[in-house]
Amino acid sequence: MKRIGVFVCHCGTNIANTVDCAKVAETAKDFPGVVFACDYKYMCAEPGQVMIQEAIREHNLDGYVVAACSPRMHEPTFRKCAERAGMNPYMVEQVNIREQCSWVHADKTKGTDKSIDITRMGVAKVAQNEPLFSTTIPVTKRALVIGAGIAGIQAAIDIADAGYPVTLLDREHSMGGKMAQVDKTFPTLDCSACILTPKMVEAAQHPNIEIVTYAEVQAVDGFVGNFDVTIRKKARYVDVDKCTGCGLCSEKCPKKVASEFEMNLGTRKAIYVPFPQAVPNKPVIDAKNCRFLVEGKCGVCKKVCPTGAVDFEQKDELIVERFGSIVVATGFEQFDISKYEEYGAGRIPDVITGLHLERLMNASGPTMGKIKRPSDGKVPEKIVFIKCVGSRDEAKGRSYCSRACCMYVAKHATLIKEKIPTSKSYIFYMDVRTAGKNYEEFYTRAQNEYDAQYVRGRVSKIFQVGDKLIVRGEDSLLGRPVEIEADLVVLAAGMDPQQDAKDLARTLGISYDQHGWFTEAHPKLRPVETHTAGIFLAGACQGPKDIPDSVAQASAAAVKAAGLLSKKELTAEAQTARCDEAYCSGCGLCVSICPYKAIELKRISERVHGGTRERQVSSVNQGLCQGCGACSVACPSSAMNLKGFSNDQILAEVDALCQR
Amino acid sequence: MREINAKLTQEMGDLARDLLASGEVKGVFGWTKGSRWYLTPPVFITKPEEADQLCYDEFAVNNLTGLLLDFRDSQDKIAIFVKGCDSRGIVRLVQDNQLKRENVLVIGVPCPGMGDKGAVTDHRQAQELPLLAKCLECRYPNPVLADRTIGGVTVTTEPSAAPSGATAEAAKGRGVGSKQADRFAQVEAIEKMSPDERSAFWQAQNEKCIRCYACRNICPACNCRECIFDSDKKNWVNKAATPTDNAFFGITRAMHVAGRCVECGECERVCPMDIPIMAMNRKLIGDLNELFGPYDAGVKPEEKPPLGAFKLDDPEEFM
Ligand code: SF4
Ligand code: SF4
Ligand code: SF4
Ligand code: SF4
Repeated sequence: MKRIGVFVCHCGTNIANTVDCAKVAETAKDFPGVVFACDYKYMCAEPGQVMIQEAIREHNLDGYVVAACSPRMHEPTFRKCAERAGMNPYMVEQVNIREQCSWVHADKTKGTDKSIDITRMGVAKVAQNEPLFSTTIPVTKRALVIGAGIAGIQAAIDIADAGYPVTLLDREHSMGGKMAQVDKTFPTLDCSACILTPKMVEAAQHPNIEIVTYAEVQAVDGFVGNFDVTIRKKARYVDVDKCTGCGLCSEKCPKKVASEFEMNLGTRKAIYVPFPQAVPNKPVIDAKNCRFLVEGKCGVCKKVCPTGAVDFEQKDELIVERFGSIVVATGFEQFDISKYEEYGAGRIPDVITGLHLERLMNASGPTMGKIKRPSDGKVPEKIVFIKCVGSRDEAKGRSYCSRACCMYVAKHATLIKEKIPTSKSYIFYMDVRTAGKNYEEFYTRAQNEYDAQYVRGRVSKIFQVGDKLIVRGEDSLLGRPVEIEADLVVLAAGMDPQQDAKDLARTLGISYDQHGWFTEAHPKLRPVETHTAGIFLAGACQGPKDIPDSVAQASAAAVKAAGLLSKKELTAEAQTARCDEAYCSGCGLCVSICPYKAIELKRISERVHGGTRERQVSSVNQGLCQGCGACSVACPSSAMNLKGFSNDQILAEVDALCQR
Repeated sequence: MREINAKLTQEMGDLARDLLASGEVKGVFGWTKGSRWYLTPPVFITKPEEADQLCYDEFAVNNLTGLLLDFRDSQDKIAIFVKGCDSRGIVRLVQDNQLKRENVLVIGVPCPGMGDKGAVTDHRQAQELPLLAKCLECRYPNPVLADRTIGGVTVTTEPSAAPSGATAEAAKGRGVGSKQADRFAQVEAIEKMSPDERSAFWQAQNEKCIRCYACRNICPACNCRECIFDSDKKNWVNKAATPTDNAFFGITRAMHVAGRCVECGECERVCPMDIPIMAMNRKLIGDLNELFGPYDAGVKPEEKPPLGAFKLDDPEEFM
C-alpha cells in the first residue's frame, strides 16, 4: 500500500472561515493509506512547501493530497514542490476545498463535511497514481504567419528580427490586407500607404522572410514545434521569376472587370496588379475573366510580354513545409450591408460603406481622390453617416462593437470637410467610443473644427427622391423625428470575421466564438495564444481591432512565437492517452474523435493459439496528444485511458465517496 | 410457403457448394434444420459436401452476423446469408472496423417473416405460427447490402421498402412490417408511468435477469474484444446476478449499443427470461433521433453513428 500524506490549507481565512481545516486533517488520518496529515495557513507559501517536503522525507511518502485552492492555480506549484523532494510530480493530487467548499457554503459543518469527502476521494485517487514522465520533442525553428495584412507583416518582421526564418503567406496577390485600401489613418491622419508600403518592402526584403502570396493553407498536421503545413500555391499564370513587372500585359489586356480592391468603384484588367504599391509587384491572371482561359482566344498578354512570363499552363501547386509555430493574422471582412434592407444598401448606389469612401478619397483611387457620388459623379454637399451598421445590433446577429467605426467616421467627417469645404456631415450614432490615445481629442476636433454634426439616434429608413436620399431617423436627445436630405450616405459598416474563418479554425484545430472570431486561450492572461500550443493570434482575426491595436498584438504574438522557437526542445504533456492493446478492437472511433489528430491505427501481430495473427489497434502519438480525454470516453471497449485520469482512478474516487 | 422454402434451400445449397468448391470462400454461415420442427439454428460449413445441411424456412431467425466476429482478425473470406434485418449487422461490423468488407461475401435472402416459436402449442406437430414481434415491426425486410442474392430479392437501403423476391407475397400476407408505426409504443407506455412505477417496473425486470449473456452474445453491435462483464477487474461490477448488478448490466449493455443497435431484435428474442430489452434499445434510438436527427444504424456504411462522430451542429445543451 502506498504511504500517502494529506496537507490541508487554510488559504488564510479564505478556506478556514467555512471549513474546519484541523478537523479535515484529523479525519484524513484514518483514510486508507494515509500515514501523515496536517493543516497549515498557507500551503503554497515557502514554509508550507518546506513542511510538505520535510513530511515527504520524514514519513517516506509515496504520494500526497493537498486540499486547497483550484489546481488551475497551484497544481504546478505542488508538483514542483514534490519534485524538489525527489517525488514524481504526478504522485500529487490537489482537491479544491476553496472554490468547491468554502466559497459555496455558508454553513461550516456542511463545508467541512464536503471537504472531508473530496479529500477522501483525492486520497483514493492518489493511491492509484503512477509516476508519469514527460518526453521532449524537437522544435523546428521556423514560423508561419498566415495573412499579410498589417498584423501579419508586423509579426513576421518581429519574428524575423529575432533571428528566425518566417514564411508570410497571403491568399491575395499582394500583401497589405485591408490597410492597403485605407486612405488615411486616425488619429494622426498620416497616409495609410505611406506607413504600410515601407513595412511591406521591409518584410519583402528581410533576409529571414519568405513571402508567399496567392496561396492558402490547405492542411495542418503535426503539433507544436513541428507543424506540417500543406500550402496550396494558386496558379498565377505568370512566372514571377521571369516577370519584371513592366505592366505591358495589363495595358494591352482587352478585358475589363470591376476591381475588388477599388470596392467595385473602378475597373481592372484580367491580368492585373491589384494596386500600384503591391508587393510583390507582379501581375496575376484572373482565370474567371481571362478570355484565353475561358474561351481559348486572345492571349494578347502572352504575345506582348517581353520576358515570356505569361504561362497559361500553370497549375496550382501543393507544398508541404514544417514550422515550429504559427501566427494567424487573417483579419476581418467588412460587414455585408445588404443585410440592412431599410437602408437600401446594395440597391441605392449612393449608399456606400466606409471602405468605399476610403477608395473615393484616395489619390490613387478610381476618382483620383475626388469625392464623387457613384450614381452621377456629382460632388456631394450633404453627407450622412450612420454608425453601428452591423455592430451592437442583436437583431442582425452582431452583438459586438466593431471598435474602429467611431473613429473612422470622425476621420471621414474631417477629411470630407477638408476636401469639400462647403460640405456638411451629419453623423447618426448610438454612443461615441474613443478609448485610445489621442482619440477623444480627434473626435472633439471633428465636431468643433470640422463642423461634423452628431445626431444621437438610429436611422429607420433611407429612400430616394429625385437625386436626393431621404434619411429618416430619430434624434433621441431631442426626442423628435429628423429627416435629412442627403447627397451621399456612408454606412459605418462594422467588422465581420472572414467568412471562411471557421474552416481555417478547423484546419488549424483552434476554436472560435459564436460569430467566428478566433478565441484566445484566456482573455486576460493569454490573450494572443490559442488553446492549441504553438498557434498564436494577431490582429482582427481575434475580434475587431484598429491598426494600433493590431500592431501591438502582432508584436505580442511574435514574441510568443519567437520565445517558443528559441527553446532547444519542448516538454510534451505527460498526462496523455494510452491504449491497452489487449482490449482495443481497432474500431477507430478514437481516431475520428481526436481533435489533435494524435491517434492512428496500426497493425500489430500477436501469437494466438500457437499461430501469429495480425490485427489493428490504435496508437497514440505522445507528442500530439494534449490529454483532453475525448478518446477515452468515446472508446466503447475502455481500451483507451488517460494517464493520471484512468477509469480505475475515477472509479476509485466514486467508490471512496460512496463508502463514507 | 413450403415449396418456396424448399426452392430457396436448394438455391442456398447450390450457391454454397459452388463457393466452397471453387475456393472463393473458406466457409459459409447459414442455417440448418434443427432437432425440432420449429428450430433452424445456425451452421458453419467449410466443405462443398456439407452444403446439403443448409436449410431456410420461417425459423431461420438467428442473426448470424455476430458470428463473423470469430473471423475478425483472419484473412479468410467467409460467406454469410443475411435477411434484411441481419444485413444491417454487417454494415455495423464493417463501420466498426471489425470486418474487412472484402473478406465477407454477403448473400441476401428474401424474408417471409419469422415465426414465433413461443406460440407453439403442440411440440410434435407443425402448425401455422404468428410472426415474431420484430418482424411485425420490421422496416428493412430487404438486405441493405449484398454481393449476391438468392430468391430474386432486391437490395435497398430505403426504409420501409416493401418485401421483395420469392417470399414477397407471403411476407405481405403475414403482415411483415405492418406494425412499424408501433415501434415506440412500449417506450411511450413506460414513459407514461410515474417515476415510482417505472422504477418498480425495471426493478422487476432486473430481478428476473439470470446474467446468461445471451443478449450480448448474439448482438452484432456488441463487439468489444473483452466485455467488461467478463473482466476480472471486480471494481466495475459484480458477476453475481443481484438486482443492482443486473440493473448496471442492463443499462450498460443498452448504452453500449446506443447509436449502433440495428434493431434486429435478437437480444429480446433470445432472452430466456422475457425481459423487454428492445424497450431499452428503442428508448435510446428515440432519444438519439431526437437529439441528432433521424439515424438508422447499419444502413449506410459511409454514415458515422451519431455518438461516434463529431458534427459542428451537434447539440451541446450542457455547455
Ligand atoms: S489572355 Fe487573358 S489576361 Fe491575357 S490579355 Fe487576354 S484576356 Fe487579358
Ligand atoms: S475507440 Fe477504443 S477500441 Fe476503438 S480503436 Fe480506439 S482504443 Fe481501440
Ligand atoms: S441490441 Fe438487440 S436489437 Fe440491437 S443489434 Fe443488438 S441484438 Fe440486435
Ligand atoms: S438474455 Fe435476458 S436473462 Fe440473459 S443476460 Fe440478457 S437480459 Fe439477462
